[in-house]
Formats: sequence, C-alpha cells, structure tokens
Amino acid sequence: MRPAPPLLLLLPALVLVPVLLALPGLLHGGGLDLIMEFAAAALTPSLDPVVLRALLAGVGVTVGMALVGWGISLIAGLVLGLASSRTLWRTLLGHALPADLIRRLLALPRSIHELLWGLLLLQVLGLQPAVAVLAIAIPYSALVARVVSDLLDALPTANLEALRAGGAPGPAALLTALGPPLLPGVLSYGGYRLECALRSATLLGVFGLGGLGTDLKLSLQSLEFHELWSGLWLLLAVMLLLETWVGLLRRRWGMPRRLALHQPGVGRRGREMVLALGTLLPLLVWVGRALGVDPAVLLHWQPLPGLESGHWQAVLSLPWPQLVGGTLLLTVLAAALAVGLAPLQLLVAAPWPWARWLVGFSWVLARLWPPPLTLLLLLFVLKPSLITAALALGLHNLGILGRLLREGLQDQSPAAQQALLAAGSGPRLALFYGRMSGVARSYLAYGAYRSDVMLRETVVVGLAGAVGLGSQMLESLSSFAWDQLAALVLVYALLTLVGEELSDRLRRRLLRGS
Amino acid sequence: MARPEAAEAAPLLEFRQISVDGRDRLRLEQLDLRINAGERVALLGPSGAGKSTLLAVANGSLTPSSGQVLWQGAPPARTGRQRRRQQARIGTLWQELRLIEELSVQQNLNAARLAHWGWPRALLNLLLPLETEACAAALRELELDPALLSQPVTALSGGQRQRLALARLLRQQPSLLLADEPLASLDPRLAAQLLALLLCQAQAPRALLLSLHRPDLLEGFDRVIGLRQGRLLFDCAAADVDGASLRELYGSEAGSR
Repeated sequence: MRPAPPLLLLLPALVLVPVLLALPGLLHGGGLDLIMEFAAAALTPSLDPVVLRALLAGVGVTVGMALVGWGISLIAGLVLGLASSRTLWRTLLGHALPADLIRRLLALPRSIHELLWGLLLLQVLGLQPAVAVLAIAIPYSALVARVVSDLLDALPTANLEALRAGGAPGPAALLTALGPPLLPGVLSYGGYRLECALRSATLLGVFGLGGLGTDLKLSLQSLEFHELWSGLWLLLAVMLLLETWVGLLRRRWGMPRRLALHQPGVGRRGREMVLALGTLLPLLVWVGRALGVDPAVLLHWQPLPGLESGHWQAVLSLPWPQLVGGTLLLTVLAAALAVGLAPLQLLVAAPWPWARWLVGFSWVLARLWPPPLTLLLLLFVLKPSLITAALALGLHNLGILGRLLREGLQDQSPAAQQALLAAGSGPRLALFYGRMSGVARSYLAYGAYRSDVMLRETVVVGLAGAVGLGSQMLESLSSFAWDQLAALVLVYALLTLVGEELSDRLRRRLLRGS
Repeated sequence: MARPEAAEAAPLLEFRQISVDGRDRLRLEQLDLRINAGERVALLGPSGAGKSTLLAVANGSLTPSSGQVLWQGAPPARTGRQRRRQQARIGTLWQELRLIEELSVQQNLNAARLAHWGWPRALLNLLLPLETEACAAALRELELDPALLSQPVTALSGGQRQRLALARLLRQQPSLLLADEPLASLDPRLAAQLLALLLCQAQAPRALLLSLHRPDLLEGFDRVIGLRQGRLLFDCAAADVDGASLRELYGSEAGSR
C-alpha cells in the first residue's frame, strides 16, 4: 500500500477538500464589486506621467535595496558558509567542531523572517534606507551560508585528499579541489536568492520601509486600482527581466537548476563567472550610495521605550498553545495548498497550450504579488480567518513552487511521456505517468524545504488577525511590548528550528527514494 | 464488390504519398507503403535513411508534412477517445525501452492500459497495482517470473527489462507491432533471442514492422523494405532480397566512408 511517486505528488492537494468545504462559510458579498473593479483595472492601468514617474522611482529603490541586500548576503554568506564547513575545518585544523558551533549560531538569524528583522531594525535605527538592506542581508547571509556549507560538505573529497597527500598546503588544496565544483551550485543558488531578494524588498515596502511596496499598499488601501496596476505591471516587467536574465546566465554558465542543486555541477566559462563576481562589488557600492545607505547609522541606536513593571506576567499569560497551534496549522495548510495545487493545475491544463501558458502566467503574478497584499485583496470577499491567511500565503508560494515544478519537468526526458502518448494515453495521463513520476520526489523534497520557509513567512500574513505567532508579534511590536516580542521571537525561532529539522528528515527520506 | 470484403481487403496500415520535411532535405519523400494483417516486415536501410521517421509517422507521434496515413482503410480519428483507442492498436517497442523507472513492474505493465482506463483506475494502480492476473500472464508469456511484478523496474537486469518492455507492448493488445532498431544495442545472443520473441509474437492477424541496421537477420520475415535517403528503394518478399539490391542500398554509404 505504498503510493507510487506520481500519486505522492497529488496527495497534498487533498487539502482542497476541507478548504473548499469551509470557503462558503467565509464568503461575504461585501467587496465583490471591488474585486471586479480591481480585475477590470488590470487592462487599464494609469498612464499618468506623474504616477509613472513616482512608481519608477519606487521600483528603482526596491531593486536597489534588493541588490545591495543580496550582494552583502552573498559575500557574507560565502564567508560564513566556508566558516561552517566541516570539510574546511577538518582540512585546516583536523577537527570539525568549530563548524558545528558556527552552524548552530547561524540558525538564529536564519530562523527570523526578514520582515521581523526589518521591523526590529526600524525600531532601533529609525526609518533609514539601510534598514531594508540589512533586513534582507542578515537572514539571507545565514541562508546562503547553510547552502554553501551543505554543498561544500557534500562534494566528494577524493581530489582534496589526493592533493593533500601530494603535499599541497591546506588552503591551496581546498581552493583547487573544491572551488571549481562549488562555484556553479553557489552561483545558481545566488541567482534564485536575487529573485527572492526582489520579492522581499517589495514585501518590506508594504510594511513601510520604502520603495514600490509602499506605493502598492497605499494604492490598494485608497482603492486606486489603476495606479496599483501600473505599479504591478512595472514590477512584473522587472521580475520577468530578472528571471530571464538569471535563466540566461544559468544556461550560459551550465549551472544546475534549483531542483538539481545537489547534483554535481558542471560549470562553463569560469573566467566569465569570476569576472562577473568582480564587477559586482563596485556596482553594489555605487547602488548603495545612490540609495543613501549610510553604514554610519548602524552606530546610532535609538533608545528603546522603557518597560513597565509586571510585564512578565503579561508574557506568560499570552495564549501560547493557540499561538503555536495556529502558526503550525497555518503553515501546513498553506504548504499543502502550494505544493498540491501546482501539479494539479499542470494536469488540468495539459491538453491545451493556451491553458499551460495561462497557468504559468498566473504563477508569475502569484509570486510577484506580496502575500499581505493578496490578503488585503482576499479580505474584500472573505472573512478574516486562518484559511484566508493560508490562501494568501499558499498562493504566493504556489507561484514559486509551480515554476520549479515546471523547470523540473522540462529537465525530464520526454521519452516515456511520448511513448505513452503513442500508445494511446490521453495527454493528462501521459504527463502524469510518464513525466511526473521522475520529478515527484525531488519536487516534494523541495516542497518540504519550502514549508519551513513558509513557517517563517507566516508572520507576513499576521495582519489577518488572530492567526498564530505572527499577528501577536506585530501587535506586540506596535505596542512596544519588548518583553513579549522577545519571548515571541524566541519561541518562533525555536519552532522554525524544529520545523527545519523535521522538513530536513522528510526531505532526506523522499530523496532516498523507495 | 461487397463492403465487408472491401474492409477485409484493406491493409492494416497504408501510407499514401507521405513526405516529412527535415532540416535541409526531406526525411521521407512521397512514400507509398502498405502493411497487411499478419505480415512480418523488415525495414532496412543505412543510418539516416528515414527508418525512425517512418516508424514515428506510423505510430502517430509524428505528423507528416504531406500525404495521408490510413488505418484499416480509413483516415484515423483526429481527437478524442476513438483516436486513443486506434493508437493503442499500434504498439511500439522503443530502442531505449522507455520504461517508467520510478514505478514497479506491474505498474509499468498497466501503463499500457492507460488508453482504456480513466483516472480512477490510473490513480488506483499507483496505490494498489491492478489486474495482477493479466500482468502475470504477460510476464509468463515472455518467460519472466511473475514474482517480479512487485519489483521496481530499476531492480531488473538488461535482458529482463527488454522482455518487460515487450510484455508491456503485448498488454497493449496491438494489431501492429512497430520496433525501431530493437537489436542495435544488444549482444548477438540477446539480439537473436529478442528477434525470435518478436517474430513469435507477431502471429497472424498481428503484423510486425521492424527496422534493422543489419541485413543478416532477415530470416523469419515475409517482406523486406529498403529505404534510402527517404525514398523506397525496394519492397519485395524476403526471399527475393539479393546481394545486388543490398549493395545498392548500402553502396555509397560504404563508398563515402
């Protein structure tokens, strides 16, 4: 009774049953006309030059923040990743203990979402361009570090040992043996991080940290749908440009795709890669100065408002079980929606090229649109609830997972699918049996990883009210209850670490296969 | 002439003036061909002659640029269930087998029934493999142990995989068997075994069209077709193939090397 791989792929979609059952109870007719108005405005964005100029400036700021935050995280992540590599310490010192220690320490910045970092830094540093940059750079560095050290430690060490046995000094041997195979994987991952950084920068803007996100949120709240769509189409153009460009470089340099990151990389044109990395640094400095990022502000901390006495009782009296339970349920629902819907949509669309295009386009919009804005939009027609929040979070991640699934499918050989088609299977069953079989395990394994990203992300849909730690955190933050906030962040971090461990195990089990 | 007789007389598969455009020349050029029920036909030709293209047009995975393909005397249905059922009547043994590596032997055998199954059975087959008796019979027919049914395909040896692919093909219950150079990558002993199996399965009324690289394996075929640069060079009884026509078929290829 073990479900075979392609069936596994459809199991998460079972979550649709309870969600669809609950949906009628959540509907309220209130904003239906608003939603229609919003949809209609897609075709008639505002072309007012004043609006466009303001939006372009916003896009510039958002892209700049993303770029600088990402650049810093790439450099810091590489350094930290090397520092937490067991292979590296074993080669240099003969012991891997420092690596494990640094790994543990890096878990904390990683487990806190960039939005929380942003809001925390906002309190400490005031509204500064540097806040958004740092908010992206801190968790991203830790994420990059983890991937770098994982990739590094997964590389076969035979070459390294051969060089060491031949008398090469440690650092030189490391660079020669592990540098070239490591670079493609890291750069490929870095490309994805840049796309993530653009999404994060937009999201931070929604919470008031400047750039296009702020414009989008204001337009939505004042129901200026035409202006909203001008901003969205601009963002879409930038995002597609970035994705295309990253994709082009990935192909040109022969780098592995996200689902295949752990397969040994085969890079091409190494000199070009190194050159590109070399020009990155001056570019970052220039963009940073243009944004007005001033490293000196890091030294000027604003005093935090003092605490009243007796607060610890208030911390303890928070409804912890509901908060933790709500967060977990929200994560599971959103993850199942995102992981399960993507293959379902592809199967439904399989016979028609236009439908496949439409699904792909809906994914582009979904990953473009920050979840809190989706939530605001959903609240036009749905009551605030856990499911509403899960829908907003799930749809955003569907856009990301869907693209990965499609890339994974494209990388599969079409032979088995064609054979089934020639033997008379319908296009859907041929896709399901012939192609999805091969991609099922790696896609679900990525889904497991993505669900611990979603656990961190639950904070961004916290504004739907009464769902989990996220909303309580935003509430504590706005009422300056630092002790509550500290406790919440700690519990959250703990939860994400446990979640990470669980999803890691699930992923390893899935990848180990039958 | 009475209609039923006309239907009986119609060949299983007929090509009328089939052409397929290639990158710099026609891959098939105005080809006429008939395969009758019960015939065992070998398709000979040097590499690049268009053998694979011909087979791809025959099994419907390639649409010709011009010309007409007839199935039992009529143009095939364009879409829908009827078309799928017709396609299921033509079974292809692929050179690289095209088994689904992630599934078990039984699930692979049942994949041949997808033309007839709807989603419920297709899904159930992935949970509890269906039609065990029919699958076991298909394995037995090819002298494979039915105990293999629950094994993953990846656990099979090369020879077993070859037989499994053939068993899957039979489970499709085709009227016409196509095989694209099935012997090319096999050692001589395995090649002889597989060829014998294929010829044995292609009993009337089932027909066989098999492409070959080597002219020394023609024993057991009724008819031989020689294809060269997308054109029909000869189409005759197997006994009539002589050295001269073979030299003409492979001639300038040998000269150009």
